[in-house]
Amino acid sequence: MVENVIETFGLTKRYGDFTAVDSLDMVVEEGEIYGFLGPNGAGKTTAILMLMGLSVPTTGTGVVAGYDIIESSREVRTVASILPEYSSLYGELTAAQNLDYIGKLNDLTKDVREERIGEMLEIVGMSEWADEKYEKFSRGMRQRVGIAAALIKQPKIVFLDEPTLGLDPVGTKEVRELIIRLNREQGLTVVLISHLLNEVQMTCDRVGIINNGKLIVMETLENLTKEMTGGEERNVEFMLSEVPPGLVGDLESIEGVKSVTQEKDQLFVYGGIESDYEVSKTITENGAVILLMRPKEYSLEEIFMKYYEEG
Amino acid sequence: MAGTFTVAAKELRDQFGSKRFLILFAVVLLLSTLTAYQGVDFIRNNENAGFVNIFSGGQFGFSFIQIMVFFGPLLGLALGFDAINKERANGTLSILMGQPIYRDSVINGKFLAGAAALSTLAVGTIGILSGLAIPMLGFGPTLGEVTKILALALLTIVYLVFWLSLGILYSVLTKRTNTSIMASIATWLIFSIIISILASVVASSMVPLPGGGFRTGVHGGLGDLGELRMSPEFMEAMEKRSALQSNIEKISPTNLYEEAATDILGVAGGFMKGMGFQEFQRTLTLTEALAANWANIATLVVGLVICFSASYMKFLRSEIRPGD
Repeated sequence: MVENVIETFGLTKRYGDFTAVDSLDMVVEEGEIYGFLGPNGAGKTTAILMLMGLSVPTTGTGVVAGYDIIESSREVRTVASILPEYSSLYGELTAAQNLDYIGKLNDLTKDVREERIGEMLEIVGMSEWADEKYEKFSRGMRQRVGIAAALIKQPKIVFLDEPTLGLDPVGTKEVRELIIRLNREQGLTVVLISHLLNEVQMTCDRVGIINNGKLIVMETLENLTKEMTGGEERNVEFMLSEVPPGLVGDLESIEGVKSVTQEKDQLFVYGGIESDYEVSKTITENGAVILLMRPKEYSLEEIFMKYYEEG
Repeated sequence: MAGTFTVAAKELRDQFGSKRFLILFAVVLLLSTLTAYQGVDFIRNNENAGFVNIFSGGQFGFSFIQIMVFFGPLLGLALGFDAINKERANGTLSILMGQPIYRDSVINGKFLAGAAALSTLAVGTIGILSGLAIPMLGFGPTLGEVTKILALALLTIVYLVFWLSLGILYSVLTKRTNTSIMASIATWLIFSIIISILASVVASSMVPLPGGGFRTGVHGGLGDLGELRMSPEFMEAMEKRSALQSNIEKISPTNLYEEAATDILGVAGGFMKGMGFQEFQRTLTLTEALAANWANIATLVVGLVICFSASYMKFLRSEIRPGD
């Protein structure tokens, strides 16, 4: 049975009159990659700072790996790591020295630190630059050392806030693959905050969408796509040799078809799966050749925008 | 406590490796060494002078005490002004606080490291001066003088750590290091220079000098202005003015330190009733000096505790925001 490693109960944070996080009830399951999405200022970072015990909730609480985030915030930080957005390690220290310092703060013995520093730098592909100063690294290299620093305590959960921000496509791909590898090979639970929705789509198992401090939806991507299409109904794209006059009207009259949209030689037929045969037959009877037929896939961006606008 | 010592060890290594600390240490050491030569010269020419005069640089020359009066605020503030806000500005604070340490470990560690660095600077400079003076003089301090030197070292550490605490307070109160450095420089100028000027202006305006010249005696000829003497009224006014100025200057920690340090060493100068402006040497015992200056020393200690407590409370209550 999969356990919930993060659970919040009406977690709220107010700064004066401004409510940054509003009654957040969120669940993250053990071993999943959870995408936490929302526009700027939605309350994502504030929420994870509260989960790490770095910011005190105004009301509500949460449990991370069995520890209460208010009563046992220090214990939370023994099992959870954070790589905050715009964070940095110490420029005057080398990659290895930075990891050693983080290891010391986690009460790791010298032998354990030495072993893990080598191991973590190897995982993030930075072994070659272990003795180079952090300030000399590119943005991508810094992010990789930052991830190594977050992993040195061997946490159960890691919060990554925009880990690919400012990275070039190659760096972005490397970090994405690293997150997936850590999740698959080490069973690490990852909470990923990102504005890059395609990255989230390629990486995450489930997503939570937050807007104005409120959690609008929390679901698997598969279920979100189903919800977009209204369950069993979906949009099917037909690419035709031509769209004969009257075809759109004929299709709209088929039982089960809800709507038909035309874009040049493409038709998007929205309806139940049982109407597919009648639709195909009607197209060919009107003298058009079906070059391509496929269910329309929704991008996370479309899903996000739907919930964002509704929220 | 493990977190405190880990932070302190890292900070101390940073301090000793920083150009800022090394430059200030070098300047203080160089100037102090020069004053020690001056002190040695004074001791050789005054049979009543003792070993501790190497720290007073003679009687009114530029001395170790005056170097500390002038540079002390700069040293303490320089080591503390960006202790916390630099971590915020660099984005390292959230990483640091994301580790399983108590929040006060960060500020305690930084304070301990700064205090240790300043103690090393004070004890190191005093030790080097003594080490240089002994072979030049051919004798060392007596046991009584050793206790005075130790008391001076302790007082200097308290004085420097007071400025460190104030610097840390600025670093907690301000988000930007630019702001805290400006506040530190302003503080340094106010307490090192401006208060003395202000005290002088206030004392002059509140205690006007009596009219008429203060030169009396017989003119011996062209260019002979006669014997320099001050009338009793003039003397009295000057004494009042000096006392008022001294009292106003007491709001500056630099003056509190200077008075206490001078008394501990047993060397002082000023207006003595009936003698006018005189250089005089008082040979107070350490106990007498401490008894006479307990209020000064207590004020420095209380100031240190207040500044650090305020920093501590403010830091513990501050929120870690996105981007810290």
